[in-house]
Amino acid sequence: MAPTLPSSDQASDQDNWDNGRLARKRQLLIEIVLRNKLTALVVDGDTTCRVLEQLLLRSYGVQTQCVDNDRDAVALIASGVKFDLIIIDMILPVLNGLEATRQIRDMGVHCKMLGVTICSGESERQVFLAAGVDVFIEKPLDPEHLVPILRELDGQ
Amino acid sequence: MDVVNQLQRQFIDYSASLHREGFLDDQFTQLQKLQDDNSPDFVVEVASLFFEDCEKLINNMARALEQQQGVDFKQVDASVHQLKGSSSSIGAMRVKDVCIAFRSFCEAQNREGCLRCLQQVTHEYSLLKNKLQTLFRLQQQILAAGGSIPVVE
Repeated sequence: MAPTLPSSDQASDQDNWDNGRLARKRQLLIEIVLRNKLTALVVDGDTTCRVLEQLLLRSYGVQTQCVDNDRDAVALIASGVKFDLIIIDMILPVLNGLEATRQIRDMGVHCKMLGVTICSGESERQVFLAAGVDVFIEKPLDPEHLVPILRELDGQ
Repeated sequence: MDVVNQLQRQFIDYSASLHREGFLDDQFTQLQKLQDDNSPDFVVEVASLFFEDCEKLINNMARALEQQQGVDFKQVDASVHQLKGSSSSIGAMRVKDVCIAFRSFCEAQNREGCLRCLQQVTHEYSLLKNKLQTLFRLQQQILAAGGSIPVVE
């Protein structure tokens, strides 16, 4: 499929969907074109993971914010900011991911929550799901897991 | 063009060897695919972040294991856990594998086993750092010669 070239060569900072760049990525990553502007929050205490997860989401055009601890995450959501997707680790600096997830759900937040963590045991999975995440994903977060979820959120 | 081709070939061969020897896995390839003209140094930057994290975590583990009055294995485990997470996110397979063994020793509260793993993880981290620095240097040379970085599947 021939890539459609943008009318101008400059990609604006705001717009993640520069056609030329997207076309090249299309050949390399699992392709998806989002119809809607989705927003996400990444909650991870580890810098490397946080940066990478944010980058992955942004590469699909998802407007992404990051916090490095659960207390800030809960405060941000309590302040009324809405997200389509929350990516949260189980082990976090202040409380923990389980408690943060519970608190977020208790606030009546129904958005999609992904528990993305290095813990890979069945018991951890059950515990995280019971706390309120919709999907349990073992790190690292990759397109194969993420894309179907983005599709679903986008109503495709 | 000839110089570029040569450098690109070197880059591909070197990348392949890093994968073959288990230093990097598919996750690293995914990261390279995320790199583009708008963020050409992204992989280098993320690697630097990772190495900073590594050093900090390794120091935490060493300090905790040095305690004569009884090691806080939970603290060691927390650091190993974090290192396992970040190494798997960047595709540092050998570092991640040591973390897996390391966590078992933490769970068993085996100080000697932990110390051995600490040595191993330090070793793997410095090996990887050197290898990636070489890879990035090759990248720079390709770009400086006017070529583009090949994507290694």
